Amino acid sequence: IMLKGMTRLVSRVHKLDPGRFLHLGTQAPQCLVAHLDNQVPTKSPRAISRTLENDPAKHGEQHVGQHYSISVQELKTAFPHGLPPRFALQVKTFNEACLMVRKPALELLHYLKNTNFAHPAVRYVLYGEKGTGKTLSLCHIIHFCAKQDWMILHIPDAHLWVKNCRDLLQSTYNKQRFDQPLEASVWLKNFKTANERFLSQIKVQDKYVWNKRESTEKGSPLAEVVEQGITRVRNATDAVGVVLRELKRQSSLGGFRLLVAVDGVDALWGRTTLKREDKSPIAPEELALIYNLRKMVKNDWQGGAIVLTVSQTGSLFKPRKAYLPQELLGKEGFDTLDPFIPILVSNYNPKEFESCIQYYLENNWLQHEKAHTEEGKKELLFLSNRNPGLLERLCAYL
Amino acid sequence: MAASTVKVAREWSGLALGVRRAVLRLPGLTQVRWSRYGPEYQDPQIDKEYYRKPLAQLTEEEKYERELRKTQVIKAAPATKTSSVFEDPVISKFTNMMMKGGNKILARSLITQTLEAVKRKQFEKYHAASAEEQATIERNPYTIFHQALKNCEPVIGLVPILKGGHFYQVPVPLADRRRRFLAMKWMITECREKKPRRMLMPEKLSQELLEAFYNRGPVIKRKHDMHKMAEANRALAHYRWW
Repeated sequence: IMLKGMTRLVSRVHKLDPGRFLHLGTQAPQCLVAHLDNQVPTKSPRAISRTLENDPAKHGEQHVGQHYSISVQELKTAFPHGLPPRFALQVKTFNEACLMVRKPALELLHYLKNTNFAHPAVRYVLYGEKGTGKTLSLCHIIHFCAKQDWMILHIPDAHLWVKNCRDLLQSTYNKQRFDQPLEASVWLKNFKTANERFLSQIKVQDKYVWNKRESTEKGSPLAEVVEQGITRVRNATDAVGVVLRELKRQSSLGGFRLLVAVDGVDALWGRTTLKREDKSPIAPEELALIYNLRKMVKNDWQGGAIVLTVSQTGSLFKPRKAYLPQELLGKEGFDTLDPFIPILVSNYNPKEFESCIQYYLENNWLQHEKAHTEEGKKELLFLSNRNPGLLERLCAYL
Repeated sequence: MAASTVKVAREWSGLALGVRRAVLRLPGLTQVRWSRYGPEYQDPQIDKEYYRKPLAQLTEEEKYERELRKTQVIKAAPATKTSSVFEDPVISKFTNMMMKGGNKILARSLITQTLEAVKRKQFEKYHAASAEEQATIERNPYTIFHQALKNCEPVIGLVPILKGGHFYQVPVPLADRRRRFLAMKWMITECREKKPRRMLMPEKLSQELLEAFYNRGPVIKRKHDMHKMAEANRALAHYRWW
């Protein structure tokens, strides 16, 4: 009778999820798992930290806390700008890129799946304390959109555009503004790798004259503008401006769906550390890149979505403890972004923490003997307060 | 050496417990390391397991000891000793030696970055190696650290002894703590002095630790040089009188 009951349970499980792992809670019947040897490899059955479901579109409530992996090919196409530096180190060490599925990202995915592309673009702002996982949630969303064949406009960190710029040129288009050729050309190169297939389809709707000898005719593909920006570094910022304007105009027509993903959007309205030759400070709107990006983040276009992150980590002149959008964006920024959907990204809950520790144990990242014990786990919990960033830094040297 | 704290007959003068007053000086011995605590102060018990033992399991001696500790005065535990499971006295000593100007935060961060660098390098090697080699590659940064320092410890040392108006370098057996100290000292000086200009300390330290773990590299060479000098001055060994 035991055996019949077992086989019935097994067949039910097989019907439920073909090829997916169920997250078994602590009260789960462990004897059931012991009979599923053909599915479960030799791991401790108590907490399963990985899932085989690598398509973000199919992630649901049952995958919360589990890691899914992104293949190397997809990494190159979806994240040409690069991942956050510590995560990139982890990817290099483990030879695999695994992101954890978490509630804020799932919420955002749900909203994105149900967007009405006839309405103006909705703005979503991911906010939270330092190290809670805003940037990686953004990466999850970008991966989803890349899989769904959206056009991705990803600015990996807007703070990098308002500080430490070696060469500021006076803009050719508008004498009041400043150009940043290096940053613009690097961004254009990466934009090209991310969206190759769209660049030939989208046609420019205006004639743009770069200088006495070069100009782009009306009706030529956007790829030409991008090439122009990459080859002629002096016009790179203007090329970026042209690209943004064209994308904004044409996404409303419906040929493609546009995702604007900006990390550290509070840089657009804060202060910069850049100075003119006479040592007077430059306001962000005097930088051409920032000026064009602000136009992009306004919700007066249809056919896509805008996902933003506010973070204190790269920000300038903001107190360390500030994490709410109101504090980081300032009055001007908050009023500009005003109707937006805030999504709080918080520390791990106990299940996610266990899953993270399990993932590290599976990859043999926690080498200290005491880290495998209950005592060690309790200590890690206490030291990191379940903060993902802190936990990662702690486990790095243990 | 003769620089250890001198155990001296104390004078009770009715003042606050533990404060040292006029100390007898024995000829030829100078007190170098002081402590504000008197001899009746007991060392603090940091071990968590000691306190977790249920009362029923204690033997008579342990019960007596616990009762006794309730009446004794106990020194304050230093801020660096924790009851953490991840604490390592060797690492603590090494961080203290790396520390400059009391900047323990910087020293500790350098050590943690070094351990992380060692771990990442070993993981790289592990993933690049074949199946048989993977079993031999050690990925635990703590074992590598301990083994590297153990490999750097000299067995015999040289001590300058004054005889007939000249100082002679006499080979002498070293105490355990002196050997550990020398290993750590050599490692740190090597990394500080021979570091290329733009290389950061954690990277250089991780390099040196890995080389010492495999018994090669400049620190091991310095240990061998010390051994060779001791071997060369073998004839002077009878100058030692202890």
